[in-house]
Amino acid sequence: MLVLSRRTGESVVVGDNVTVTILEVRGDVVRVGIDAPRSVSVHRAELLAELASTNQAAASPAEDTVASLAEALRKRAD
Amino acid sequence: MIAPTVDPPAPGSAMQDSAASEGAVRDDIPMIELVHPMPGFPDHTRFALVRLDEDGVLCALRSLDDPDLRFLVTSPVAFFPDYAPEVGDDVVADLGITDVADVLVLVVLTAGASLAETTANLLGPVLVNTVTLRGSQVVLDDPALSVAAPLVA
Repeated sequence: MLVLSRRTGESVVVGDNVTVTILEVRGDVVRVGIDAPRSVSVHRAELLAELASTNQAAASPAEDTVASLAEALRKRAD
Repeated sequence: MIAPTVDPPAPGSAMQDSAASEGAVRDDIPMIELVHPMPGFPDHTRFALVRLDEDGVLCALRSLDDPDLRFLVTSPVAFFPDYAPEVGDDVVADLGITDVADVLVLVVLTAGASLAETTANLLGPVLVNTVTLRGSQVVLDDPALSVAAPLVA
């Protein structure tokens, strides 16, 4: 991991067209501005981790669970 | 508005010409190529969409790479009528979306012991371009959306 010290208002450039700017530092909160092309997705890491754990919990439910859910949805539609 | 809002916004919705029941998935799709793997499943990019009931309400996304992996999915229309995910240009480009009517929106279900305990992931809907057969689980950066919204209130 590359570690850099930056002051408020200073930036780092990643690759050809991603610029990360330190906007504000207050206590243990750092506000970061990210200037990237729209083709580059930028997400908070914990959001992706939350999605991964939700996907893992959702994956491959047991056959009888699926059957009872299908039955419950069918009854609900009636 | 049923269909996802894309930029620039296009009129119409995926369901307006449908005689089928509201929000139903009308057809199986033999192969969907995920342009980005789903978070947590980096090795799986090819899935089939399979209807599990005649009405097309409960469906499965079944991995074509691993027969043991599947996700339950449903159209959010019947369960979350106000749900209208907005996606960025990157998603529009990734999926090759030219007409919002081509986009199938699915939400992944986490099946509970009962219907009341079953939840839907509204933060990460799976969007499928039914023309290019490209799909992606889109991460919506909207703090109001939950990864575990109760499917039925």
